[in-house]
Amino acid sequence: MKNFLFLLIVFLLNQQNSFALFSQDREIKIYKNIRCLACQGQSLNDSNSDFANDLKKVIKEKLNNNETDQEIYTYLTARYGDWILFDPPVKKSTLLLWFFPVFILVIGIFILYKRTVFEKSKLS
Amino acid sequence: MTSNIGFVSIVISCILSLFIIILFFKHVLFGGPLHSKFFALYKASFFLIAASFVLLVISFIISDFSIVAVYENSHTDKPFFYKFAGTWGNHEGSMLLFILIISLYGYLFLLFSKQLNFPLRFTTIFFQTSLQFAFLLFLIFTSNPFEKIFPIPNQGLGLNPILQDPLLVLHPPFLYLGYVGFSLVFSLLLGGLICNYYNQSWAAIAKRWIFLPWTFLTFGIGLGSFWAYYELGWGGYWFWDPVENASLMPWIASTALIHSVLVMDKTKKLYNWTAILTILTFVLSLFGTFLVRSGILNSVHAFANDPERGLYILFIISLITFSALVIYILKSPKQTEGESGFVLFSREFSIAANNYLLIFALTVVTIGTTYPILLSVFTGESISVGPQYYNTILAPFVFIFLIVMAIGPYMKWSKNSFAVSKNKLIAFLISSLIVTILASLLLKNQNFIFILGVLCSLYLIISVLYEFAYFKNIKLKQFNFPRVFSHAGFGFLILAITLHYFFSKEFTAKIPLGESVTYKEFVIKFSNYFSKEDKNYQELTGEYEIQKNGEKIVLKPSIRRYSQPQQFTSETSIRGEWLSDMYIAMDYTSDTSDGIGIRFYHNYSIRLIWLSYILIAIGGLLSFMRRKNEQ
Amino acid sequence: MNSKIKFAGIFFLFISFFIVFYYALKSDTKNNTQIMVGTRLPNIQLSSLFNPIQKISLPSSEKENFYLINIWSSWCVPCRDEHPFLVKLKNEHQIKIFGINYKDKTSNALDFLTKLGNPFYYVGVDSDGSKSIEIGGYGVPETYVINAEGIIVFKHVGPINSTTFEKIVATIK
Repeated sequence: MKNFLFLLIVFLLNQQNSFALFSQDREIKIYKNIRCLACQGQSLNDSNSDFANDLKKVIKEKLNNNETDQEIYTYLTARYGDWILFDPPVKKSTLLLWFFPVFILVIGIFILYKRTVFEKSKLS
Repeated sequence: MTSNIGFVSIVISCILSLFIIILFFKHVLFGGPLHSKFFALYKASFFLIAASFVLLVISFIISDFSIVAVYENSHTDKPFFYKFAGTWGNHEGSMLLFILIISLYGYLFLLFSKQLNFPLRFTTIFFQTSLQFAFLLFLIFTSNPFEKIFPIPNQGLGLNPILQDPLLVLHPPFLYLGYVGFSLVFSLLLGGLICNYYNQSWAAIAKRWIFLPWTFLTFGIGLGSFWAYYELGWGGYWFWDPVENASLMPWIASTALIHSVLVMDKTKKLYNWTAILTILTFVLSLFGTFLVRSGILNSVHAFANDPERGLYILFIISLITFSALVIYILKSPKQTEGESGFVLFSREFSIAANNYLLIFALTVVTIGTTYPILLSVFTGESISVGPQYYNTILAPFVFIFLIVMAIGPYMKWSKNSFAVSKNKLIAFLISSLIVTILASLLLKNQNFIFILGVLCSLYLIISVLYEFAYFKNIKLKQFNFPRVFSHAGFGFLILAITLHYFFSKEFTAKIPLGESVTYKEFVIKFSNYFSKEDKNYQELTGEYEIQKNGEKIVLKPSIRRYSQPQQFTSETSIRGEWLSDMYIAMDYTSDTSDGIGIRFYHNYSIRLIWLSYILIAIGGLLSFMRRKNEQ
Repeated sequence: MNSKIKFAGIFFLFISFFIVFYYALKSDTKNNTQIMVGTRLPNIQLSSLFNPIQKISLPSSEKENFYLINIWSSWCVPCRDEHPFLVKLKNEHQIKIFGINYKDKTSNALDFLTKLGNPFYYVGVDSDGSKSIEIGGYGVPETYVINAEGIIVFKHVGPINSTTFEKIVATIK
């Protein structure tokens, strides 16, 4: 059993560099996060409308200039607002969006904890 | 002519509903026996609604363009199938279907509840009638499906081509049979509270009326997901689009409800919680209808937008929710301390834990869907909430959820049963770990999230399969087939989603005729194209040769230009290999000088996702049939 | 007692729910195209439609009072509808209009101007739509009013009609 757990830990530690796999398709990842403004609810990646293609070209150029994702997103939101990003940034106006679920979760855990006893005999 | 009869029967049904409501109040306020024809009147109101629906269907089939709804959404060139389905492909028709289903559930309840407590029965019917009445008024005053047009046009405007698909015949009715179906358990709850009959035996009755719509809703969502996959041509199965979310919200709430009503049935606990979930499920169903029908959302599913209708639905929702909560507060059952506590590692503990996780997921989906609307009302800012948000927040909890789902069934009711099942649970862990490590090495992916996803879903699947393998030891009748199917289905679903997420490949390109592009192990050549003309569209089909590791297949996606109304659709071409799909969709373009745009997807294990939907829904179906046998 | 508080709470909740979604129904929750208004126009380099060697950069370095930027194309039907308004703005209000010719064939664009008149002080070429994206454009037609400091003071997506025309005139007064 102990050997087994050790193997598991070694196995998991080896995963440290695995996140490189994620960024391999960085371009598609960025396109997926951008709303095609000329289409109904589609991402840039899903659309081949003229606007989407032009915007892709602009983004590709920025990628070739070694701009970071953040720089690209800042460029776009300055021009088109947060509306263009599918992944809403964490800021003052989106605090509730990101943290209200966490609040619900904490309340849930608290209620469950309050109501739980270890043995049946302890139920009054 | 048909339109007159149709409209008159709706109006009569509405008057009958009002009459039923009056009879109920007369009985409750002034005493005396309930009118002997109370139930017969309800049945009459149902048949009238059904008759008007049939008339509307006939009007669509014979293309009676004197009716606005038919004129705007049909065309004589349309195949018979779509004339038929066109009935609910528009706002008015789908609202009539909505009411028909409310009424149908009331009618079914009357048929199958003869042995029930009489006051519970008629009070439930009263509430169902009130719902029906409110929506009938809505239909008559804001969206009359039989509204006439003069002079009568010779030809209709046609149905949106995206909706001209065999699955559309099934998708909306299933969805409605699902979430509108929760109206019955909602009425049953209010009836139970009013008649002081909200107790353990209420739970036993209510179960069936939760399982039935839940099964339909699961099928409906699955069909919608499948439809989006091959008809919209975006290559995915779920987009976290607001309209999809609108149907997911009642699904999550009702899944929590299914489990809490079981606890109530077995252990007399969670009375208040079950009541709240029942109200929540139905209110979320209505809220979903409001979001979709009012045009308040920015969605791919663009429906006609009419704020006045939205206002009326909003008013109905507020009224229904408010009265339900008032009744609940006045009549809610008092619980003692002992009834509300859970023993750690007992069955009801694990169900309660997963209930909280479901509520968490529900909060995430609801907030994500409504936050952009709320923010723009309060600050005028517009933001988008897309898949990234939901994936980030929900993913970690899905893993915990799977583990609890696996452990729960090995726990006994009201007893700390960790010690008893410890060995089994550890054995599951070890076996799922071994399979996960093998899978990780074999598929050459060592991403942490990937491993966690595979491990947790395998843990659930193995725990269910173990139960299945050893079911000989118990009687077939006692074996919980429904749970086994649904839980295994959910395990496979998360496994498939994980595999799909990590191994699918996609790219977009513009390929000129005769040229080819290479992407990873795929070489795609645009080899040929041809065009043809059909009854209601022109079609341009492309021929693409795909080479993968020496194998060659040909896919033939196409673009259609529909004439009535003028619109383009992209018909995907899909070739399956085992559980995965090769998928190409063409883009419509006016300028073909630098080639035609295509989107290529290699959707890994996508067929496992469809399979899981089916497994989950079968579980629901089995539980409905099983409960029926028990009674 | 307890239930009274609950009632009040629920009542309040539902009134606010109703009001919020009532306003949501009334208001336009769609995209806000006015993000760039009040900020400085990003720098763009344009080369002339008539003579590619003749280049300028915007925002204009000349200290004008106000000037207009109009994105247009010969293939865009609404652009034809708004054209008379542009001519009127130039003739009656003596405002400089910088045109950006969006993804167009040069010959068609020149033809368009010969036939319908040329209200533009300068016409730059945006052959791939990137200049338009640089200044936050969505497509054609689109009109911006820029002040002396290079700040966008007005932006309109879509063709100019008489209402927009009045607004532009009011802005540049």
